[in-house]
Amino acid sequence: MAHYSHYPNYDVLSLINEWDDHTKEIVLKRLGPFPEPQLLEEKEVKMLRLIAKHLCYDNRDDIIDWILYYVDQRLKSNIGENQRKSTTPEEKVLIREGVKAIDKATQTKYGKTFISAEISEQFEILAALQLGSAPLIPEWATIPQQDLFDKLLDMMIGAYYSHPTVWSEIGYGGPAYPRGYYRIELGWTDPWEPRRPGAAKK
Amino acid sequence: MENKDPLQHNCDHYDGHRYSDMKCRKYGDQEVDVCIVGVGAAGGVLAYELSKAGLQVVGIEAGPFWNPQTDFASDELHSYSLAWQDTRLSDGNDALKFGHNNSGRGVGGGTVHFTAVFYRFHENDFRVKTIDGVAEDWPISYYDLEPYYQKIENDIKVSGPKSLPWGTFQGPYPYPVREPLSANSQIFQEGCEIRGIRSSVTPLAILSAPFDGRPPCTNRGFCNEGCIPNAKFSTLIQHVPKAIQQGAEILTDSMVTSILTDKKGKVTGVEFVHDGQIYRQLARVVIVSAFAIETPRLLLNSATAQYPFGLANRSGLVGKNLMVHSGHDVFAKFDEEIRLYKGTPVMAFTQDFYASDPSRGFVRGYSLNAHGNRPVALAKNLAVDGGYWGKGLREVMLDFNFYGQVSLVGEVLPREENAVSLSNEKDEYGLPRPLIHFSYSENDNRLIKDAIQKANEILSARGGKPAFVIPDTGHVMGTCRMGIDPENSVVNGFCQSHDIPNLFICDSSVFVTSSGSNPTETIMAIAARTADYLANKMRQGPLA
Ligand SMILES: Cc1cc2nc3c(=O)[nH]c(=O)nc-3n(C[C@H](O)[C@H](O)[C@H](O)COP(=O)(O)OP(=O)(O)OC[C@H]3O[C@@H](n4cnc5c(N)ncnc54)[C@H](O)[C@@H]3O)c2cc1C
Ligand code: SF4
Repeated sequence: MAHYSHYPNYDVLSLINEWDDHTKEIVLKRLGPFPEPQLLEEKEVKMLRLIAKHLCYDNRDDIIDWILYYVDQRLKSNIGENQRKSTTPEEKVLIREGVKAIDKATQTKYGKTFISAEISEQFEILAALQLGSAPLIPEWATIPQQDLFDKLLDMMIGAYYSHPTVWSEIGYGGPAYPRGYYRIELGWTDPWEPRRPGAAKK
Repeated sequence: MENKDPLQHNCDHYDGHRYSDMKCRKYGDQEVDVCIVGVGAAGGVLAYELSKAGLQVVGIEAGPFWNPQTDFASDELHSYSLAWQDTRLSDGNDALKFGHNNSGRGVGGGTVHFTAVFYRFHENDFRVKTIDGVAEDWPISYYDLEPYYQKIENDIKVSGPKSLPWGTFQGPYPYPVREPLSANSQIFQEGCEIRGIRSSVTPLAILSAPFDGRPPCTNRGFCNEGCIPNAKFSTLIQHVPKAIQQGAEILTDSMVTSILTDKKGKVTGVEFVHDGQIYRQLARVVIVSAFAIETPRLLLNSATAQYPFGLANRSGLVGKNLMVHSGHDVFAKFDEEIRLYKGTPVMAFTQDFYASDPSRGFVRGYSLNAHGNRPVALAKNLAVDGGYWGKGLREVMLDFNFYGQVSLVGEVLPREENAVSLSNEKDEYGLPRPLIHFSYSENDNRLIKDAIQKANEILSARGGKPAFVIPDTGHVMGTCRMGIDPENSVVNGFCQSHDIPNLFICDSSVFVTSSGSNPTETIMAIAARTADYLANKMRQGPLA
């Protein structure tokens, strides 16, 4: 998975001394090291790791570690999940039972576990979930496929795009407190902002 | 612990640090004049105005008393903690998303992480039935609110243009517009100009110059994450500290679980839970200001033998006519870098499509706001609501800086079947979780289609290539609407319930129609007007 970046020379973490302490602490924690998962079991972690790589289209283990840590923390916490359809199980059940169902659906279709399936087969199963057309197994009656897919996406994509390495690649200025921006108009950047190689210094 | 806050919160729970000790309650078992449930946009204004009028006021708030300097962070994931995250059950063809995009929890409510776009409603917004033959008219007119709009704008020093081409109020605002404009707002205004559409710089509850010990905005763009420097208004930093100075008490981390009534059917106070313990606050008047979902939930859950269908519910309309704003986000890709994350999210807008236009095939209209965005919010919306993931999502996001965005604030018409009711599922307090049902009507869908087309025209005119549209909503309203007829509304024009004279409902739930404008200035103007009425009435004696 090769990724182009418009900003190959930019590292948002080089600005970290300009951030307030609270934000700094929060962002640095995303770099690890992470404690062992507190809720998820080994097999769940393995499967979720593969799923995260597909959904985020990224293979870098350090970033995926952060995503898994985030998912584990979320499932462990008792804070609500904002909203859920009245017919959908709560997110803990949705994800944990959902992972089992994904494994079963993969076995039904390919005769192998999700973990041992080919990358393209894993991809096919996930793509089918999004459309609600995964191989038919009774579990889908209580684990709505699309809700499962959306929940995984919501958590994993949220964590992925909060990782400073990803910020650097997409050219996001990151936390800008207390400094703020002076040059916000079209074509203008503050001297410390990400710039494309060769872009005019305005 | 030493108090290093620039703001002083001299309440029982906050003197530079927070007590969790309920023994420090100011009034204890005593009956106070007014108890306010929920200290958000409306509750904050009520607490300030009523305590300034000399009344004994206790505000009870489910969430914490935030300290912007130590609790907020310039980070999207972290800012979810500012939202009402408790699970709400959400069904319907267009099931709503809750949490960070529309609900606050903690002193300040939604204003803590709102975008601070600050519009007055137009005169026509209050008379939809008369003008368009749909929905209902409000029992009050624009002119009833006008002095309160003016007061609120002046109290918080709204920064806005000298003149506006739309609406009844056309400026000027107390503080000048914020300069410079963000790139996204610039291209929006240029696109509008090319298409012959009028546009303006946006009035914002964000300072363009110092005020009240608070600094002007530094354009970091983290308004939806909570403004650390306090340049953005919220009732947390504006009304509540002033209410406390006037003697109001704010009890935080305290969830009101029911409203109490006596044998005569009047309300006598509330019951609330703090740290697992149940407490009571007795009051001559109770005002429910808990947001358009929690307010009907609390009223329905407070049912008694005398009021078997919940309090203030003779009309059967508590929870009904729930409205949101359709808030689709329209994106186009540019050859130049726009950098959607810089500057406050909204700095330019148009209301050229606000009024009904029979040629469009639907009634009512919308505002279009040039709208900023940040990586987590954009990527999550693209994924969950736009269907992007894997390689496709990664590619869009690598070009993050090249997208421009326009978001609509579309009027949604009230319908009884869009409603909040009580589900069979219980939450941590043993209360039934709210069950919300929402579907757009044909009129809503036509309006959305038209608005998306107009947004794309503006972006394309300026050289953007239309890229994607993400369905979204914002601003929850209705559910306890005001009106003249007790059979057809829940409260009167002063937010007093028709059924129980000492029970008031004052927040976004009293809205009759949604308009095409962001609602918070109107919520606050209604709260200020209600406070005036209530203070006068209470001077005259008990509310009959
Ligand atoms: C991300 C975002 C952007 C927004 N942008 C804008 C904008 O640009 N312009 C605009 O006009 N509006 C905007 N809004 C909307 C605005 O925030 C709301 O319209 C406004 O806050 C609603 O006011 P309210 O008083 O009805 O409720 P809230 O401000 O939500 O206050 C309700 C309070 O009641 C508390 N509460 C609830 N139940 C209980 C209970 N049982 N016991 C005790 N306390 C309870 C809650 O914790 C909350 O603090 C935005 C909102 C969000 C979240
Ligand atoms: S952009 Fe301005 S108003 Fe918004 S958070 Fe930053 S300083 Fe506050």
